[in-house]
Amino acid sequence: MGDGSDLLGDLIAALGRHAVRSEPLDRRLFSKDAGVTSGEVVAITFPESAAEVAAVIRIARRHGIPIVVRGAGTGLAGGAVPSEPAVLIVTTRMAGIEVDAANRTAWVGPGVINLDLSVHTEPLGLHFAPDPSSQAACTIGGNVANNSGGPHCLSEGTTVNHVLAVEFVTADGTVVVAGGPAPDPIGLDVRGVMVGSEGTLGVVTRALVRLTPNPPAVSTMLFGFPEVADAAATVSAIIAAGVIPAALEMMDRPLIRAVENFLHAGLPVDAAAVLLAEVAGHPDGVEAEADLVVETARRHSASEVRIAADDDERELLWKARKSAFGAIAQIAPDYYLHDTVVPRTRLVEAITGIYDIAARHGLLVLNTIHAGDGNLHPKFAFDGSVPGEREKVKAAANEVVDLSIRLGGVLSGEHGIGLEKRDLMHLVFSAVDLDAQARLRDAFDIDRVFNPGTVLPAGARCFDFGRQPPEGVWV
Amino acid sequence: MTALRSTVARLFGAFDGEIAGAPDADFTLAPQTVEDAARMLDLASEHGLKVLIWGGGTHQGMGNPVEPEMLVATTALDRIVEWSPDDLTVVVEPGVPVDSLEERLADRQQTAVLPERSAGATVGGVVAAGVSGWRRHRYGPTRDRVLEVIVATGDGRIVKGGAQVVKNVTGYDIPRLMTGSLGSLGMIGRLCLKLWPRGVRAVTVEVDEPARGLAGAYRPLAVLETGEGCRVYLAGTDREVEAQAAGLGGTDRDGLDWPDPPSGEVVVSVRVPPALTTEAVGRLPAPGAFVAAHGVGVVVAAFAGIPPQALGGLRSWAEAQGGAMVVTARPEGFDLDPWGSPPESLALQRRIKAAFDPVGVMAPGRLPGGL
Repeated sequence: MGDGSDLLGDLIAALGRHAVRSEPLDRRLFSKDAGVTSGEVVAITFPESAAEVAAVIRIARRHGIPIVVRGAGTGLAGGAVPSEPAVLIVTTRMAGIEVDAANRTAWVGPGVINLDLSVHTEPLGLHFAPDPSSQAACTIGGNVANNSGGPHCLSEGTTVNHVLAVEFVTADGTVVVAGGPAPDPIGLDVRGVMVGSEGTLGVVTRALVRLTPNPPAVSTMLFGFPEVADAAATVSAIIAAGVIPAALEMMDRPLIRAVENFLHAGLPVDAAAVLLAEVAGHPDGVEAEADLVVETARRHSASEVRIAADDDERELLWKARKSAFGAIAQIAPDYYLHDTVVPRTRLVEAITGIYDIAARHGLLVLNTIHAGDGNLHPKFAFDGSVPGEREKVKAAANEVVDLSIRLGGVLSGEHGIGLEKRDLMHLVFSAVDLDAQARLRDAFDIDRVFNPGTVLPAGARCFDFGRQPPEGVWV
Repeated sequence: MTALRSTVARLFGAFDGEIAGAPDADFTLAPQTVEDAARMLDLASEHGLKVLIWGGGTHQGMGNPVEPEMLVATTALDRIVEWSPDDLTVVVEPGVPVDSLEERLADRQQTAVLPERSAGATVGGVVAAGVSGWRRHRYGPTRDRVLEVIVATGDGRIVKGGAQVVKNVTGYDIPRLMTGSLGSLGMIGRLCLKLWPRGVRAVTVEVDEPARGLAGAYRPLAVLETGEGCRVYLAGTDREVEAQAAGLGGTDRDGLDWPDPPSGEVVVSVRVPPALTTEAVGRLPAPGAFVAAHGVGVVVAAFAGIPPQALGGLRSWAEAQGGAMVVTARPEGFDLDPWGSPPESLALQRRIKAAFDPVGVMAPGRLPGGL
């Protein structure tokens, strides 16, 4: 039994030996996510229930060590990377699924893998709509933490639109449920604040998610364009015509060539940009909307028009979109994947600007873009073993952020702020805005037990703004 | 008070307009800018004056009553600031009437999906009240479309949350927190909403029962039941709408014929998991006008001359299902908590309120649990 002086002993006493790891190799493996930052892990815990999560929180607090929550570790912004030595709570063993078919909802553990949930509910004709590219590996808990999107969030919305309630453990070890199975829960929207809070406000131990009926008909199309501007104009024209496709994804020439080289899917390698469009819904609606999309693309000089004839071809087209990472590995040993957003009407300026930035730094950039949402994912390919390359990429990435903000955009569309963009927050928020966010964080976790040093820059809480509660007021 | 009066007059000028339906307050003010609003709330916090924010007054029946010392009306903040049809976003001030915004957006066949029969309501009021229209069955609740807010907090800070883009995880979701907060955190001074295309064709189909509407149509705008019958609302391309209407087999007519919102002495909003909508209708304790949103789980019902205790059974049943029965209109002296049992996260909500309104002047006690 732990005697209170030994963190590992206390954790093992509470959770059992099978649920605590601290060997050097483990600590190294869990020291980073799928991005480029790393941190120091003291112990890795695998609790199986909210009660066990609460026990880990209490023990870590007693030892004065912060907590970082982690799902599958597919995040790219360092949201699961400790900024100071921390105890990790890995959610993968909280992986239960309880479906309520009549209400089209499910209570799911944070460790459930995104795609597994949709596979589980497939016999009911239902799926979980958010579908990040990492959906075969990423967890629902991670999706909740980052308010993840994916190609289909254009029509379906991001994770927050599909989470009805969250059960979470607070910094003092209390288990709280916010939201519920009925619409419009009363009081302040705590659930809405928890989603996208990157593990800084509490540890989500269950989520009640909305399940979406599988559409009765789907049509997937791929278009090649001689200019990026033609592809972007097609995106705007489709939406201006009153059609919100299920997905509207753009890939640029360097990426198409890399993917084709890797996948041999017959992609138009001479096109400056390729647009992958999908419409879904009622069969008659799909037919009419697909006609409109094809006609719009043709009107904007589409040189190649390919309409998936069957499910196999549809899957192949989507594979082309989702194989970007494998394809880049052929080109360079490392890549840096960025995530910013611009209003969709500014896409051409954004892409042209990104090409300029890459050229100025002598870097190769490949682009996949959730074009319908204006969500940019430039990938800078580089060799990290060459001195100076990482610094060059970092400089270029910061210029992409500046460019996006200049065009009216934001720092992140779906990867989160984490450690990566924490110090850029002042580019989009004033000191007063950041102070308000810090106060909100204080309301949940005034001692910064959870993921300290992420999301908000140091010194965000500024006591010069606003008023203090009057003496004697209990809040 | 006299000194304070002259301070207010000096800072904000004398406001001599009438705010229809608003309660009497020591100070009735109508800021022209969000900066003005922030200065007013700062003054309220300095002097500990209870503040009520007033839009169109259409949802002021929600929550525990507040007897304001300062009433801040959004009347003069009534500009549509920027509409970007190609980005499907619009930036508005809170006092813009819902009807005039929707009318304007209809010029380009777009909609903010604000509540349909909203005569007199303002955009800021609808968002602050967290009220959604019937089309939420297809497009989700209002809170899913509030992309950015600029808020004057209870202590006079001007805080921006979110951004004018449709996809964003840059910082905490303050727009969602403001939605439905009923003016308890601050005043929404400006907001950006996500828009949807209206669909080129819309029809209303009468069907014999809600189940037929839910099973027979793919993502209808709404399936509504009233005392008169059941209607399915469809929108989209011509071909889709015609095929879906034919598939439902009822009588259809062009356009969306929305029911009047139930009104009466006592109005309640019952919220239950969607599959229990029919049961909720069956459990209404007395005859009266009602609208039930099938597939959503909302039943709005109006009663005349009903005693408070007659609603107890419906409330405890709704709460046992994980829902609520909220009283949105009641006569004076009607002895029933408008919200029912407070939420589990009440302690947390109290601290969240203090983060925005540290002195506690904004609509004190209005929210569930006397927050």
